[in-house]
Amino acid sequence: MSAPATSVARAPEGASGVDVAHGGVRQKKDRVGSLVEGWLRGHAVLIYAFLYIPIVVVVVFSFNATDRRVTQWEGFSLKWYESVLNDTVVQGALANSLIVATSTAVIATIFGTMAALGLQRAPRWFRAPFEALTFISIIVPEIVIALATLVFFSSTFDILNSLLDLKLRLGFQTIIAAHALFNISLVMLLVRARLSGMDRTHVEASYDLYGTPWRTFWQITFPQLLPAIIAGSLLSFTFSFDDYVITTFVSGAGSTTLPLYVFSTIRKGVTPATNAVAAVMLLITLSILLIGQIAVWRNARRSGQHGAQASVAGMITEQSG
Amino acid sequence: MATLSEAAPVRSGQPRRSFSSALLTGLLLLPASLWYLILLVVPLAIVLVMSFGRASRIGGYEPGFTLENYGQAFERSTPFITSLVLATSGTILCLLAALPLAYFIATRGGRRKSLLIVLLIVPFWTSFLIRTYAWLTLLGPDGLAGFIGDVVGDSGFRILGTPVAVLIGVVYGYLPLMVFPIYVTMERMDRTLIEASKDLGAGRWATFRQVTLPITLPGLITGSILVFIPLMGEYVIPAILGYGRVFLVGNQLVLQFLEARNWPEGAARAVVLILIMLISVVFYLWFASRGRRTREISVL
Amino acid sequence: MAEHEIDRAIRRMAHAPLSRRGFLWAGTMSASAAFLTACTGGGTSSTTAPAASAGAGASSAAIPADIEKQLFMYNWGDYVDPKNIDAFKAKFGIDKFTYDTFASNDELLTKLQGGAVGQWDVSAPTGEFVPAMREQGFIQKLDLSRIPNAKYIEKAFKGVWWDPTDEWQVPKDWGTTGIVVRSKIVKEEVKTWKQFFEVAPTYSGRIVLVDSPGDVFVAPLKALGYSLNSTVESELEEARALLLGLAPHVLALDSDQYNTKIETEEAVLGLVWTGGILELRDKPETADVVYVIPQDGTLYWLDTWVVLAEAPHPNAAHAFINFIHEPEVQARETEWNTYATPNSEAKKFIDPRILNDPAIFVPDDVLAKLEGAQDTSTNPQRLDIWEEFKSKIGQA
Repeated sequence: MSAPATSVARAPEGASGVDVAHGGVRQKKDRVGSLVEGWLRGHAVLIYAFLYIPIVVVVVFSFNATDRRVTQWEGFSLKWYESVLNDTVVQGALANSLIVATSTAVIATIFGTMAALGLQRAPRWFRAPFEALTFISIIVPEIVIALATLVFFSSTFDILNSLLDLKLRLGFQTIIAAHALFNISLVMLLVRARLSGMDRTHVEASYDLYGTPWRTFWQITFPQLLPAIIAGSLLSFTFSFDDYVITTFVSGAGSTTLPLYVFSTIRKGVTPATNAVAAVMLLITLSILLIGQIAVWRNARRSGQHGAQASVAGMITEQSG
Repeated sequence: MATLSEAAPVRSGQPRRSFSSALLTGLLLLPASLWYLILLVVPLAIVLVMSFGRASRIGGYEPGFTLENYGQAFERSTPFITSLVLATSGTILCLLAALPLAYFIATRGGRRKSLLIVLLIVPFWTSFLIRTYAWLTLLGPDGLAGFIGDVVGDSGFRILGTPVAVLIGVVYGYLPLMVFPIYVTMERMDRTLIEASKDLGAGRWATFRQVTLPITLPGLITGSILVFIPLMGEYVIPAILGYGRVFLVGNQLVLQFLEARNWPEGAARAVVLILIMLISVVFYLWFASRGRRTREISVL
Repeated sequence: MAEHEIDRAIRRMAHAPLSRRGFLWAGTMSASAAFLTACTGGGTSSTTAPAASAGAGASSAAIPADIEKQLFMYNWGDYVDPKNIDAFKAKFGIDKFTYDTFASNDELLTKLQGGAVGQWDVSAPTGEFVPAMREQGFIQKLDLSRIPNAKYIEKAFKGVWWDPTDEWQVPKDWGTTGIVVRSKIVKEEVKTWKQFFEVAPTYSGRIVLVDSPGDVFVAPLKALGYSLNSTVESELEEARALLLGLAPHVLALDSDQYNTKIETEEAVLGLVWTGGILELRDKPETADVVYVIPQDGTLYWLDTWVVLAEAPHPNAAHAFINFIHEPEVQARETEWNTYATPNSEAKKFIDPRILNDPAIFVPDDVLAKLEGAQDTSTNPQRLDIWEEFKSKIGQA
């Protein structure tokens, strides 16, 4: 990342460089140091295992040949995938979920980042109520906002439809709009957390060099914010993709998403088919990520960048230097 | 009010306050403001109006004016206290799990930083419900509980249906909301700063406390708010992994809105809940930012 | 009144000895193939089903010209055989058939009360929710001339209190709430709700109940000899005492995974729905699972087809309801979701192993005791009891 202009040149990545530089002095502390390193590493391994074990269970049991009980292994079979892939209801729900989640992520990321940037320039009288609303949007229990939003949509649509002869209905637009509320706040809080201690020396320097605000933003501010922006978009995609309560209330005909489908079928118990649905979801989102990754690689090769360093994920951390 | 903006003071010397600058500010804030106005303020007004009304005979809402619903809202506070305990312990556990992890990724991740972060979110691209059911298998009598039971020699050993199971599910579900904000602030932290601190003779712990922590604080605050608040309304994880033995604020609201279809009573309870939470958040931010300001001066 | 008629109806249905549920795929397939040729070709294949398919053939010969090309359904998940949907689409030239799902009646009703009217055409609430939907104008009166197949509905399911004139809904399928017992562990006799409460302390911590107040209240009220729909204060207070006595012994309130808990013997006694339990009896290791319909009476539920108010495609909606009650189509529905059908004619085509299953088709001695539910969900006393019960689960 960009170091403050006033500070020393960036230290080499990884601990080795540091150790070389300070080798002799640090001898005594090395024992403690390696203990800490080991603990950090072990902790990370544990957390990742914790996150992935249930996923492994889901994927493994989606191949279960059993007709009913998920957790009793009765042999390998792809039949559940076959049934899921032939099920138009599931396919429709999956497509709907992807449409909703992608749109929500785009909207929330752009508007949330804009708001975070605008807010630090805004006068105090505006900031206080705006921030209060940000927190309220997270505080409001989902079921409450979901119901109130439905009441709002349906009564507004009734009035508009009869006055202007429109045909507004519940559907994707209403789901996306309702999802965006929470996620705009989420992105905004993340970007603001990043902004809060951001080094302004570069921005000032850019202004001093008569850079336009536009150029200054894209060359200085934006790269520094990028990790937060991408973290925000990932989180908002995820929350929108997996939302149940709000979606139930503001969905219309033909806009049932996967969580709605899963909730409505699960009262018959989890079947290998349900697991197969989850595994397919995982597969699709992962392949989208991979396609993006390949696109970035190609791009990078064309522009002569090092392939290994450029990745979709890489944008999260690697910033223009 | 004490807000993040004060926790994160914008340094003076804002460039060129002029008409065009104000216009830009306005434009930047316009979409989010519209969203808040139309999809938050208006629905909240609807909830507020509802909370003074009456439930019709077959449920729903009937116009009217009564304060009775607010009287009801303060009855049965056990669910609120249970929720508070769950949310607090869940947040602390998430913090304990997230802090070292975010630190590890930010400082030791190197080139794989990005991959590590994406890998954190991938498990969430399945379905919440299915993931939670997977825990049912893992912690059940055929899983961890059975194993521990065998080791200890207690065949009746159980994890499911206990607070432990609920906490495992909660940490599992909310961890990214804690890791991400901490990570984005920590990642910004410059290694040179740490090295500088060490060169000045500061110990590992002192460096962490004096350099890392203050920089990370906005992330910690954001993360804990993002975990704590939704946890207060959580009810699905306790229902599944806690075997429906716990009755929380979320359950109470669902019961009132869906099953009993008494919208006014539910609305009144929601209004009270929102107010309590808002006050706590403001207080928390004020408290946290107070600490931060002094530290910031001492470090930077 | 309704109970009495159900009694008679089910006496008629429950005849041959039982066997386990299982799909006679060959039979199903050939029946559906015959059915498909019958309605797509428009020809009459009177070989498979003489009387019934003649009637069906007659009605399908004249497809009204005003059937819309779309149909929007709002239903429980996985509740209509996809093959029947495909057949319906083919028969009526439907281009767009959407199937959206809800997870509970409360959700459906709350959503309509929130204003989501005019979004869907056809839905399937449980009977006791029909009056509320009618009163609030969420459903429309059926044009029965478009649903001639309604004539196949058993008398027992006609004129039920939620729709005395049979103009607002057509019954879809039905089932019961009962007791499940792992008989190899629970040796005591559990044939009534009363016995259920008596043996409960012996199996403390191994009892599972569905997370649904309407069903849980059945146990104490029936054990006490009251109506399961009782809203009498003193009766409910007695029920409260029984429930609070039960609460410490309960392992879980669980509507989705109770069958897994029963299967793993984590729970050995339960208050459950017919659903997944039936399949457990099939496997050797869980063959001791018994589904009891309590002799002191219990609840039956009936899901109903309704056409929603301001439906965008009302004619297609009527056509669907009529289509789904074609006897062969309905038989396939029953085989697919294993709930009992109220369609008498369809029984001729149902796999006997399903038709003769006593857990689906109730044994004689308890028939008269079945009681339909009323919508008591807004009763404050019941809610209060339920909240208190829930907060005391598993707490000694």
